[in-house]
Amino acid sequence: MRLTQGQFSFLPDLTDPEIAAQCAYALDQGWSMAVEFTDDPHPRNVYWEMWGAPMFDLKDPAGVVIEVNACREAQPRCYVRLLAFDASKGFETLRMSFIVHRPPDEPGFELIRADGPGRNIGYTLRPYAADAPPGRRYGPGRTP
Amino acid sequence: MTTPSNVIDATVPDRIDLAALANQVELGEMFEELDAELVGLAPVKRRIQEISALLVVDRARAQVGLTSTPPSLHMCFTGNSGVGKTTVARRMARILHRLGYIRRDHVVSVTRDDLVGQFIGHTAPKTKEALKRAMGGVLFIDEAYYLYRPENERDYGQESIEILLQVMEDNRDDLVVILAGYSEQMKAFFSSNPGMASRVAHNIDFPDYSTEELFRIAKLIAEQMNYRFDAEGAVAMLDYIKRRQARPNFANARSIRNALDRARLRQARRLCDGWSAVVDREALETIRAEDIRASRVFTDGDDGR
Amino acid sequence: MTKTGEIAPLAAKERYKPGVLKYKQMGYWAPDYEPSETDILAVFRITPQDDVDPEEAAAAVAGESSTATWTVVWTDRLTDHSHYQAKAYRLEPAPGSPGQYFAYIAYDIDLFEEGSIANLTASIIGNVFGFKPLKALRLEDMRIPTAYLKTFQGPPTGIVGERERLNCYGRPLLGATMKPKLGLSGRNYGRVVYEALSGGLDFTKDDENINSQPFMHWRDRFLYCMEGVNKANAVSGEIKGHYLNVTAATMEDMYERAEFARDLGSVIVMIDLVIGYTAIQSMAKWARRNDMILHLHRAGHSTYTRQKAHGVSFRVIAKWMRMAGVDHIHAGTVVGKLEGDPNVVRGIYDTCRETHVPKNLEHGIFFDQPWASLKKMMPVASGGIHAGQMHQLLTYLGEDVVLQFGGGTIGHPMGISAGATANRVALEAMVKARTEGRDIWNEGPDILVQAARSCAPLRAALDTWAHVTFDFASTDSVDFVPTPTAS
Repeated sequence: MRLTQGQFSFLPDLTDPEIAAQCAYALDQGWSMAVEFTDDPHPRNVYWEMWGAPMFDLKDPAGVVIEVNACREAQPRCYVRLLAFDASKGFETLRMSFIVHRPPDEPGFELIRADGPGRNIGYTLRPYAADAPPGRRYGPGRTP
Repeated sequence: MTTPSNVIDATVPDRIDLAALANQVELGEMFEELDAELVGLAPVKRRIQEISALLVVDRARAQVGLTSTPPSLHMCFTGNSGVGKTTVARRMARILHRLGYIRRDHVVSVTRDDLVGQFIGHTAPKTKEALKRAMGGVLFIDEAYYLYRPENERDYGQESIEILLQVMEDNRDDLVVILAGYSEQMKAFFSSNPGMASRVAHNIDFPDYSTEELFRIAKLIAEQMNYRFDAEGAVAMLDYIKRRQARPNFANARSIRNALDRARLRQARRLCDGWSAVVDREALETIRAEDIRASRVFTDGDDGR
Repeated sequence: MTKTGEIAPLAAKERYKPGVLKYKQMGYWAPDYEPSETDILAVFRITPQDDVDPEEAAAAVAGESSTATWTVVWTDRLTDHSHYQAKAYRLEPAPGSPGQYFAYIAYDIDLFEEGSIANLTASIIGNVFGFKPLKALRLEDMRIPTAYLKTFQGPPTGIVGERERLNCYGRPLLGATMKPKLGLSGRNYGRVVYEALSGGLDFTKDDENINSQPFMHWRDRFLYCMEGVNKANAVSGEIKGHYLNVTAATMEDMYERAEFARDLGSVIVMIDLVIGYTAIQSMAKWARRNDMILHLHRAGHSTYTRQKAHGVSFRVIAKWMRMAGVDHIHAGTVVGKLEGDPNVVRGIYDTCRETHVPKNLEHGIFFDQPWASLKKMMPVASGGIHAGQMHQLLTYLGEDVVLQFGGGTIGHPMGISAGATANRVALEAMVKARTEGRDIWNEGPDILVQAARSCAPLRAALDTWAHVTFDFASTDSVDFVPTPTAS
């Protein structure tokens, strides 16, 4: 299973220069960038761990790419994403979000159905990886 | 930075017109601007021309397929206060940018306080933050020797220096670092931080301005503010400069600018005396001898304010 | 109404003598009037009958859309009549359309009930459109003052809220309308939902006329669709949705259906424009209370928006809908099969998405329109668009839009899921290229061909549809065309 959150998950994984090109656009718009990582990619897991605070006042993407690589190195078994924040009125939200690193294997999600009266069904998604404790959820060493 | 991509061509030329290459990036115009903006500083300008020549030749070599490692561009500017180190750093950034050695024409200027934290764990994020902001351009570290405080063994400056060294080595394509400060202190700093010394490729020493240069600077600054000296005022200014140079805490062009600010104040006071005068344009733009000679440089022995 | 002629203002005694007066004489023509900041302004395109004075026609429109009737009534004198009168304050010939004029009319804010589109429209388009002395009448644009805007809830979710809920940023959303529109059983219908969403779309959609017909009752539809949505969420790790159309005969039915959609975990429900403004406002309030995105299908609008001389321009409908409070509105594609001149569409998109829309006659925007803090509506582009047009769609419509490829997904030669994937790959490749600084307008086809090298479904889509275009002149175009200056 390939997690397809973010802007570019249907394309081949972005190379560092491609990531830098995306960052350059964001910085030119005056947006700030942040690196985040998680071992729980549930689509409603909004708050991934922050790899440091958002980077304000950068002019060049090289600094962002340094942090992306540092995060990848420290969290090889996590998903890592790059975000761009727009502080301008009317937005004040994310303007970009894309995955820049994936764990070596992605087990996907279980769909749990809770039957109710009148054929109603309550649906819940559960990452298969959540069976393992944090830190051991993806890739080699994952509890089967 | 690696070879600028726009010079890579499938067809390797056998002759390169260096002048054309320099014209292409308007190098001549930049030197002229530098001349107009900065009085004197002949040795500094010569060094900038040398570095520029090196970079143009480097580009030309790349065009004919002579590969070599890209030149190291980290620099050290030494000299006293007010000799134009910051201004030259800005100019240098523009030249490096035009020639394609940095991606952005920007200078991030920092001192020890921006890089070194007060507590354990604070220094690395602060230094990295400054480095990230400077990426793509020039990081100008003023009074760089304050990073190193051997007298305090728990000082975090050393941590900052190590991060700087790492980035100066790993991200040569992304960043040019310029260290600046007084000559003697920089020498001491380099002798106790040989790693830093070995990564700085260009040392540019900024001499103090001569009396005559300072006088030209004074006239230039006055002109920019739409003031002028009358004949006696000019004599007084020259006289002031000679006295001021001999005093402690003399800060070259900066001292001249401050002196002129004070002269403006005195001129205004003179014109408004009693709030009864009607003045003409000439009176409003003229700085007279008395506006300068009222300075304490001419009377007592402190620093001339 | 009588023939052209100069008319002098009347003293009160004359003015209220029983009988018939010209609307101008009754005070509805006020060329010296300075609209106040809190006035509601409207600009109408009027086509007077051949022997009718255009100023009198403008005054009549002002009168008939506010206080007047065809004859003098003494009861006017029991009110502060000149305060309540609408005032035609400006008249201009419509460029290039002989016999047509733009009449600007100001309405005092006291004429309208707060927060009620029904009340606003009952005045502005209530009686006046059938008025005999006019051959035709079209409401071109309105300026809603901040004071009145703030009495409306506006979109329940807004573009920012929608993106944060869906966890989807920085690219247009992708959708598809289920086809065939009618006749599928619930089970078969849900299959199309699952295939399209699991292939890469963010949304699928009921069509406007899917309610609760004999071939598929609404509960069945909701249950099978949500099975498809949730399965697709599980295979992608994304948050997806199906616009469950809750349009029904009565409000009670609509609430029942909307609540069922909510209980099943749907993020979005849908209504049709034909349910009426009051029902729309009720559903907007329901959606705000229940944290649901509200999709509006503009079913029926072309009966009155398309003709240039008569009706209501869609940008006005879009304005009313932003006030009434919907989150999605179909707003044109430019390149697809349905009506949509690029400049007109631009004006409508600005009306949906901007926090302040400046006057821009070339886009059909006649007034500055600040939107106070009403949220933004997500425009939806739907009807005859396909992956091969991705560069044009992104250029014309920008990033905050839902691109809906119905036939362009479901008609894909390799299947529905492949059709969805083709669209998603084309979209991501185009957004990435745009951000990298490439000239997507010109390089678009190459970018798509490049992306298709590693995506067989996109290759097939391009082979099938790359040459399909709908190149007809629009009937609703703007009147003001920029002319090159001679300097």
